[in-house]
Amino acid sequence: MRKQAWLRAAAGLTAAALVLTACSQKSNEGTSGSNTGANEPSAGWPQTDVPELKPGKKGGTFKLAIVEPTAIDVYNAQESEGILVASHLFTGLTITTYDGKVEPGVADKWETNDDCTEWTFDLKTGTKFHNGEEVNAESFKRGWERVAAKDSASEVAYHMAGVEGFDEMQAGTATTLSGVDATDPAKLKVKLTEPDCEWYVRTSHTVFSPVPSTAGTPTSNPAFVEQPIGNGPFMMDGPWQHNVGIKLKRFDGYTIQDPAYLDSVEISITPNGAADEYAGYQNGQFDWARMPVPVLSQARAEYEPKGQWITRNTNGMNYLLVMVTEKPLDSAKARKAISMAIDRNAIINGVFKGSQTPSTSLVPPAFPDAYQPDVCTACEYNLDEAKKLAKEAGLTEGTKLNFQFNTGGGHEEWTAAVADQLKKNLGLEVDIKGLQFTDLLNNEQQPGASGIFRAAWGADYATPGNFLEPLLSTGAIGAKADEPVTGDNRGRYSNKKFDDLLADAKKEKDDAKRIDLYQQAEKIAIGDDLALIPLWNRTQHRLANADKFINLRMDFHEDPDLRVISIK
Amino acid sequence: MGKFVIRRLAQAVMVVIAATILLFIGLFVLGDPFASSGDKVVPPATQEILRAKFGMDQSVPMQYLTYLGNLFTGDLGVDFDQRRPVADMLGQAVPATARLALVAIILDVIIGLVAGIIAAVWRYSFWDVLVTVLTTLAIGVPTFVIGIWLRQTVSGFWIFPQVPRTFTEVAPWYTEVLLPAITLAVIDAAFIARLMRGSMLEVLRADYIRTARAKGLGERTVIMKHAFRNSVIPVVTYVGISIGVLLGGAIITETIFQYNGVGYLLYKSILQNNNPVIMAITTFAVLVYVGLSMIVDILYAYLDPRIRLS
Repeated sequence: MRKQAWLRAAAGLTAAALVLTACSQKSNEGTSGSNTGANEPSAGWPQTDVPELKPGKKGGTFKLAIVEPTAIDVYNAQESEGILVASHLFTGLTITTYDGKVEPGVADKWETNDDCTEWTFDLKTGTKFHNGEEVNAESFKRGWERVAAKDSASEVAYHMAGVEGFDEMQAGTATTLSGVDATDPAKLKVKLTEPDCEWYVRTSHTVFSPVPSTAGTPTSNPAFVEQPIGNGPFMMDGPWQHNVGIKLKRFDGYTIQDPAYLDSVEISITPNGAADEYAGYQNGQFDWARMPVPVLSQARAEYEPKGQWITRNTNGMNYLLVMVTEKPLDSAKARKAISMAIDRNAIINGVFKGSQTPSTSLVPPAFPDAYQPDVCTACEYNLDEAKKLAKEAGLTEGTKLNFQFNTGGGHEEWTAAVADQLKKNLGLEVDIKGLQFTDLLNNEQQPGASGIFRAAWGADYATPGNFLEPLLSTGAIGAKADEPVTGDNRGRYSNKKFDDLLADAKKEKDDAKRIDLYQQAEKIAIGDDLALIPLWNRTQHRLANADKFINLRMDFHEDPDLRVISIK
Repeated sequence: MGKFVIRRLAQAVMVVIAATILLFIGLFVLGDPFASSGDKVVPPATQEILRAKFGMDQSVPMQYLTYLGNLFTGDLGVDFDQRRPVADMLGQAVPATARLALVAIILDVIIGLVAGIIAAVWRYSFWDVLVTVLTTLAIGVPTFVIGIWLRQTVSGFWIFPQVPRTFTEVAPWYTEVLLPAITLAVIDAAFIARLMRGSMLEVLRADYIRTARAKGLGERTVIMKHAFRNSVIPVVTYVGISIGVLLGGAIITETIFQYNGVGYLLYKSILQNNNPVIMAITTFAVLVYVGLSMIVDILYAYLDPRIRLS
C-alpha cells in the first residue's frame, strides 16, 4: 500500500496545484470586470433549437456511455444514468416530455374527486410487457407494492409518500397498499392521505412503473433486477454487464405510443464520466456525450458549426443556501446585500467561459409556464445598492461570513470568486471552507449553522411545487429549532403566508390558477424574503452525432430521447 | 526452519486481526453512507430502513464480530449501492487484477534485471548512464501522467485496443492488459534496475567473486552463476511487496484504462461510502500483503541461511 499512498498523494497534490493556480487566475478574472458588470447583457451561451421531429426509419444502433448506475430496475433507479435505462424499459401511467409537460402513458386519462384525495386512471387495454404479459391495473399495484415494501429498502420509495397505506408498508406492518384499488383491470384507483391536485404528475417517475407477475421482490428475484422486463419502447438484450455495458433493443410490441426507430442502443459503462464520453465521441465510438467543463468552449467551437452541439436550460438550479435564522443573514436586507454584491456575469464569463446563464428566479426557465424571469429583484449586480443594504442590515467591514462548499465537484473556482467579490465589495471576512459532501450536509443540518453554502436542486417531477415545497416550506425543515434538520429546507426558512399559498396550490384543480399560486409564493420567498440566493440556471451541453442521426434532443432527465431518435 | 515458519505465521495472523479492526473503525470516519442521495437528503424513515437492512443499526463492536464471523464462512455481505453479493464483485475484479499484476511483474522483472545487470557489469559506460537517466525519469514521472499519455497516444493503434470504446467491441484480455501493465511496469522496472545495479556492484567487489575469477571461470559464469544469485535478494523482496501492492489494485491505472479490476472497484466504493466493498477489498489486500511478505521472508531464509539462524 506504501507506493499507492504515495501516488495518490502525488496525484492529489498535482490536482490541488492545478486548482490553486486556476483559482487565483480565475478569481482575478472574475472580479476584474465587476466594475462594468452592472449594465452588461446577461452572460451565457444561447440555447440551441430543439429539432422538429421528422418521420424516421427503423434501424441503426445508437451508442453512448454512462457511469455505472445504482440500479436500472425501477424499484431503485435514481440518478440520471439509471433513469436513462429505466425510463426506456418502462412506461408508467404518464410520461414527462422533453419540455417538462405531462402526457398520457399507459393511462388514457385521469380524474380526481373534489378535494383531490382520490385519483382514477383509465388504462389503455391490450398493451404488453416485453414477455407478452398484458399490462393492467394489477401490474401497477404490484409494481408499487414491490417498491413500498420494507424489505425492498428502496431509496426512492418516498415518492409514494401520501398514498394511503404507504407508511404501513414501510413500517413492515402491511403487505399491500390499502389505498390502491386494482379490482377493475382497466382502472387504477388511488387514495391519498392529503389533497394533492397535481398528484398525477408524480406518476411519470419511474418508481411508479408497472411490473409483470414474474418480477417477484428485489431480494427474492435478483435476476429481474439485473435484467428487468418492462413495458417500455426498449427491452434488455441480455443482462446488465456490470462496469461494462447495457444493451437495449427495440420492443416491437410497443403500442402505448409510437414505437422507437432504433434497432438497438449500446450503453457502455466507463469510469471517468464526461471525460471518457468526450474522448469516445472524438474518436467516433459514441454518438452522444457530455463534456468536462474545461473543454466546453473548445468543443463548442469545433462542433457547433457542424450542428452537433446541444445547449439547453434544464430542470435545475444552482444557488447559495442561506441560514436565514442565524446572524449575519437573518434579515432579507442582509441576504439581498450579499446577492447584489455578486457579479454573476463576471463569474460566468471568467470561470465558466459562458457555459452557464445567470439566474433571477428559483423556478428555472425549463418550466416555461411558471417561470418568472425577474422574480428575484436582488439578483442583479448592483454595488451601490448592495453597500446601502449591507449598512442597513449591519453587515460591516470585517463581519464574519461562513461559506462552505463540497470539494471534488468542480466548485473550487467559482466559490473562490464569490468569496473574493464579497470580500472586495462588502469588506466581509469570508471564511471559505471546502468539505466532503457528507460533512457539508451534516454542517448544514446542525442547529446554529450560519452563513452560506453551495447548493443545487433539480425537481423529481415537472412541477414548480417540487422546487418551492421541499426547499422552502416549513414542513420540509422537519425539526425543532434546536434539532438537526431532517428535510431539504436546511436554511430553516419559514413563512406562514408562503406555506398557505403552497397548501392552496395543492388544493387547486385548475392548472392556470395553481401556477398563479405558485408564482405568488415564489414572489414572497424569493422576491421579498430572498430565502436563498439563486446563482445560475442549470444549463447542460451535449454533443450529438447529427451526421448519422435525426431527432436528437435531450429529455427531461438530460438523457438522449431514445424514443424518437432515428438514423438519417 | 520449521520453528522460523511457525513464528512468522503467528505474527501474520496477529497483523491481519489488528488491521481489520483498524479498517473497520476507519470506515466510520468516512461518513454516513445513507445521509444523502445526490444533493438531496434521504428522508429519516428511509435512512432507518436502510440501516436496518445492512445491519448498521447494531453497535460497532457487534457489527465487527458479525463481520468477522461472516468472513470465516466466506460471506462478504452485500454492497450498499447495488445490493449485489460482494463476493461476486470481487470474483470479477480479482482475476482481472491478478492478470494485470502478473503481466506487469513479468515485464518489470525482465526489463529491470537486464538493465540493472548491464549497468553494473559495464559500470560508467554509455549503457550505465542511459539506465541511470531513464530510471530517474521513470521514477520521477507520476503513473497517471504515463497512463494518460499512453491512452491518448497509443491506444487504438496496432494491437492496443481503443480506450474508451463501445463495450460490444470486445478485446482479448492479453491485448487489454498491455497498456495498463506497461504503465504499472515503468516505475517498478526502474526501481528494480537500480536495486539490481547497486547490489550487483557490491557483490562484484566481494572476495569470492575474485576467487571465482582467479579459478579461471568465464566471465558469464562468474556473473550469472555466482554474482547473480547473491545480488538478486533485494530484488526478490521488492518484487514480493510489489505483487502485494499490485494485487491490492492499481486505482489510478485501472481507472484510466477502463480496466475492471480491484483498484477501480475500490475507487468507486470509496466515492460511494460503500463500506462492505471497501472492507472486503482492504481485507483482501492485507491478506495478500501479509501472505506475500511472509513467503518472501521464508524465501530469504532459504536463500541465505544466516537469516534463519539469527
